[in-house]
Amino acid sequence: MLLTYLPVLIISGFVIFIATFVFIINSIVSPKKPSSEKLSPWECGMEPIGEASSGHFKIHFFIIAILFIVFDVETLFLFPWAVVLRDIGMVAFVEMFIFIAILAVGLIYAWKKGALEWV
Amino acid sequence: MNFNIVNVIFSMPEIIVLAGACLLILLDLVLYKNQKGIIGYLSLLIILIAGAGTLILSSPSVEIFDRMFVVDGYSTFFKMIFYLSTFLAVLLSINYIKIEGVEYGEYYILMLFAMSGMMVMASSIDLLSIYVGLELMALSIYILTGFKQYNGRSNEAAMKYVILGAFSSGILLYGISLVYGLTGTTQLADIAGILKQQGNLDIGLVLAIIFLIAGFGFKVAAVPFHMWAPDVYEGAPTSITAFMSVGPKAASFAVILRVFLEALQPVSASWTTLIAILSVVTMATGSIIALSQTNIKRMLAYSSIAHAGYALLGLVAGGADGIASVMLYMLIYAFMNMGIFGTIILLRKGDFKAEDIEDYTGLAKVNRGAAFLMLIFLFSLAGIPPTAGFIGKFYIFMSLIKTGYVSLAIIAVIMSVISAYFYIRIVMLIYMKEPVREFDLARSPANSLALIIAVIGTIIIGILPAWFLEMAKSAIFPG
Amino acid sequence: MGQEEIRGLLPVLELYLSNPLVIMMLEILLIFIKVVVVTLVVFSLPLPLTYMERKVAGHIQVRLGPMRVGPHGILQPLADMIKLFFKEDIIPSKADPWLFRIAPVISMVPVFAVFATIPFGDKITIPFINYEVSMYISDMNVGILYVLAIAGLSVYGIILGGWASNSKYALLGGLRSSAQMISYELALSFACIGVVMIVNSLSLVDIVKAQSGWHWNIFYQPVGFVIFFIAGLAEINRIPFDLPEDEGTLGAGYHSEYSSMRFAFFMLTEYVAMVSMSILAVLLFFGGWNGPSFLPGIIWFVIKVVLCIYFFMWTRFTFPRYRYDQLMSIGWKVLLPLSLLNILITGLIII
Repeated sequence: MLLTYLPVLIISGFVIFIATFVFIINSIVSPKKPSSEKLSPWECGMEPIGEASSGHFKIHFFIIAILFIVFDVETLFLFPWAVVLRDIGMVAFVEMFIFIAILAVGLIYAWKKGALEWV
Repeated sequence: MNFNIVNVIFSMPEIIVLAGACLLILLDLVLYKNQKGIIGYLSLLIILIAGAGTLILSSPSVEIFDRMFVVDGYSTFFKMIFYLSTFLAVLLSINYIKIEGVEYGEYYILMLFAMSGMMVMASSIDLLSIYVGLELMALSIYILTGFKQYNGRSNEAAMKYVILGAFSSGILLYGISLVYGLTGTTQLADIAGILKQQGNLDIGLVLAIIFLIAGFGFKVAAVPFHMWAPDVYEGAPTSITAFMSVGPKAASFAVILRVFLEALQPVSASWTTLIAILSVVTMATGSIIALSQTNIKRMLAYSSIAHAGYALLGLVAGGADGIASVMLYMLIYAFMNMGIFGTIILLRKGDFKAEDIEDYTGLAKVNRGAAFLMLIFLFSLAGIPPTAGFIGKFYIFMSLIKTGYVSLAIIAVIMSVISAYFYIRIVMLIYMKEPVREFDLARSPANSLALIIAVIGTIIIGILPAWFLEMAKSAIFPG
Repeated sequence: MGQEEIRGLLPVLELYLSNPLVIMMLEILLIFIKVVVVTLVVFSLPLPLTYMERKVAGHIQVRLGPMRVGPHGILQPLADMIKLFFKEDIIPSKADPWLFRIAPVISMVPVFAVFATIPFGDKITIPFINYEVSMYISDMNVGILYVLAIAGLSVYGIILGGWASNSKYALLGGLRSSAQMISYELALSFACIGVVMIVNSLSLVDIVKAQSGWHWNIFYQPVGFVIFFIAGLAEINRIPFDLPEDEGTLGAGYHSEYSSMRFAFFMLTEYVAMVSMSILAVLLFFGGWNGPSFLPGIIWFVIKVVLCIYFFMWTRFTFPRYRYDQLMSIGWKVLLPLSLLNILITGLIII
């Protein structure tokens, strides 16, 4: 168990190490001449108005995220099911069919209500 | 994999309701805006079919789904209460949501989902399935609370309800996990068996019981977890207020009785006192604060808090009598509360909200029928014979006295007298004062049918209580 | 030392090697070596890949591509890298400095972590010492689930980078990017489930082994492969789905404000994501290292992956870009129902 998942930790650590190393070298060799124009957000040469990160974005992104969570949970159910489908047989198939059908009702509902339209 | 067709057969009512609701969602998508009433009538049909199914499947006791779900007399009795309250609430809604301008098909569908959640709760004998049912019910009701989407109060109520509800669910889950940690099981009967063996009381278990009481106490609006009730009752559409003051409350009591009198029966010494104190405080707070309310929905919210206190007394009494009295109380409460909210809905028309108590001044001079309905339901809520409300309180006090809690019974009677004041005050306004305005009733066949059912139920149980009591007694679970 | 002396030492060595603690230390050492090799190889992959991409682009568009730096421009990527290395690292004054700094790393670490479970070949035996070495760092029993889950994490880096820049283009680019990635992740996972149903295992090694003898999954899951490929294109933000960096409407998307090495790391992430998506396609659908036995498995593996990468590049310079609403409706209204249907039909056939 340890040997199976230890590499994930090692690889992440190694990548972070390399990245830090590169950043340090970069900060030594690169020039630093900041000016107020250079440091302002890029907006095709216009003066930027207001804060961009204050959270004003289309509600659609939020709806998509909610829908994603629903279907992602379905994915998590499907993976173990797919592994043992042959052993359990028809019962598993029918049960998953019902599960998918219920979620399909949700998808159709969202679809018809226009949650998937991007106007 | 042990697949058993018995599981499917005995959970058929739940399956019918859920599948029906899913079909209605699809149907709703193809209906035009002014046809949404069809969804309402179809959901009435689904409730009737599910009710017939429940009656057919009613059996001594069948445990299915690996002992998570049971079909017995107890669950059948409570499911009947849910069918009744949902049926009446749908009848009352068909006209009402048109007046409020929120006629959407989702309204009825969410009610069906909430009802199926309650049905799962009543049939659950495992803490986890209880929790699943509870969440299904609660989530649907959160949305229904905020259904008047352009009304600030409705939105505020939904927001408060969601946040407090999520919090209480978390506490409840924490209690469940503690129980699971201490006993190694979530099955109610198994918990009871293990607690019996252990003998001495674990301090962790006390903590778990406190968490469970807090979690369930929130759902039935017992003091000190009642803060949400007035705002939510006031903000929600009146038909939903009627629905959630009856259905979820009955469902929560179904679960509370099972959890405390079955799973936690071996350690009853540790929680009886706590529940007794809680119920006295609940009755007192509900009755006293209701005195100063000017909004009738807020007043009824406090009255429903007080009624939760009376019902909790049945839990304190325990035993067959206690359980039967709470079951009967919930049935009666369903009739009379649906009735009073139905009358309020009947008066709501156009710009007239009928939410101020002063609005009812002199109703009797203008419309005798509506005034008489108010009279019956208010008397019943106050517990004045020969209405059903009296019978409900009477049996609870009887069961208390039988088990030796005489002082508690006396306190409850005193509280009952205090609470009679604010019910009678409305009766006085209706009958003794001159009218200051015209009353225009929002009559419809559906409304009338609902009110007739409610008033017949209230009077019949009041006059002939024995049959209903026998039914409740024959349906108790072996606690 | 004579041969006799070495023979005398062998029993002692064997005694050492039978100690479980020593074995474990050796295995961890081996993992370390593999990690370092794999990471360094993957880290330097963008160099040949950018060269390849520009050459492919050039020849598809009937021009020559980079020609100046070195013979046939072969040193061009190196020159680019050195240039980026010496650029000023600009952190906008309105940005959230810490999130801005670490966002590239957040998005880079997951795409590398994916390689922890990718099998490049079967076990090989090192001659002389007779020691078996596996051509993968670890064989997880939940391999494919791990790959999908970890690869999905890199969207955090993108959205944090977009938000922390506090620039409208970057914010929109980040949001679009994340919405697109999560939408297509569903279809991608569902396409993988079709493969899992046939193989009955989540382990990538088992999946490849089950495809030996030309039983490649593409013959059994053609629809699944098409869905996988399209969703994969969108998942790694490549044309025709490279909306997050749609220069016509969004500037450079979520990395508008980035410069120097931080920008390079975002580009690196994209290239590595493309490589890992190609590898996944090869493992799941094209039989991994399986192939005619005149070449070793690892060579077959590399050939297939390179062909797959070439295919990604080919689409890039052949197709126009979709509009954003078209992109979302393809994901949710076509690919998602289609992949669910694919799962149900596959299930019906195999039981």
